[in-house]
Amino acid sequence: MTTPANEPQGLAPQYRAFKRMLDERGILFSFSGYLSEGILYSLGETLRQKMTLDDTNITTIKKVFSVFIEQAQNIIRYSAEKVLGNVGKNVELSSGMVTIGTENGRFFIVCANTILEEDVPRLKQRLELLQRMDKDEIKAYYKEQLREAPDENSRGATIGLIEIARRASEPIQFDFDRVDADKFFFCLKVSI
Amino acid sequence: MENLMIAATERSPEVDFDFATGRLSLKGESYPEDASAVFGPIFAALERFLGDAAGKDVQFDFDLIYFNSSSAKALMNMFQLLDAAAGRGIKVVVNWHYAADDETMQEFGEDFSEDLEHVTFNLVATEG
Repeated sequence: MTTPANEPQGLAPQYRAFKRMLDERGILFSFSGYLSEGILYSLGETLRQKMTLDDTNITTIKKVFSVFIEQAQNIIRYSAEKVLGNVGKNVELSSGMVTIGTENGRFFIVCANTILEEDVPRLKQRLELLQRMDKDEIKAYYKEQLREAPDENSRGATIGLIEIARRASEPIQFDFDRVDADKFFFCLKVSI
Repeated sequence: MENLMIAATERSPEVDFDFATGRLSLKGESYPEDASAVFGPIFAALERFLGDAAGKDVQFDFDLIYFNSSSAKALMNMFQLLDAAAGRGIKVVVNWHYAADDETMQEFGEDFSEDLEHVTFNLVATEG
């Protein structure tokens, strides 16, 4: 970590400040780096255990867990930063970030990853459509998509995004930030 | 036809298809990396069984805790298959088990049942 003059010096003070910054934002946990299905499983289990120990009601646990899984699987599938290969078995490691926390009495889940510029318009269009829909419209759209054959190259993204929007307690928020000539940083925030 | 038994994994359900008695069940969680790899063989076995199940009574118990959206699509395909078979005269009963306080799983059961014309669909709430 770099340490500008106004930041604490020393290893422990630096990381303590970093941790405090996350804590102050209500973050329960945040994962940044290469995400795999194994990490998804372990983080998901820990998340459910933590919420269960905190006496969170089962419907809220289910919603948070579902949004977490769909978002993490979207990163694994669609991140533009991937390492693929065989290490005795086929592995697909995808770079991204998943953050879960609480604010104003609600859980929130933010996922972020880089995506190719050519994929931005379609993703933006899908998310804007979901943002404009009310609960009943989202539910009807989900049922309609359940019966549709999957889009080519999508590996199930449409229905995954609808599932995310369906579990949200307020409209989903998203944003894109240009990284370089052909990539954007994409993030999606869902409150439950 | 050979019965189909597949043990649950961390992210895929237990499959217990007893074709001789017509009792089928899916149990556990489903959020695999590749839903078609998990559900492809299950769907194929179900399709073969239903194609030759005239005069049989079929009971399918779903006891799922959580499934992701691509698994939901696979479940929908299975329900369409079951409904078509029931439409041909095979008696099909589906029991959709869910924890009584789990609104998400209850709603999924209601959603699936709305689309079925011929299958007898029972929502079965179980107390934790």
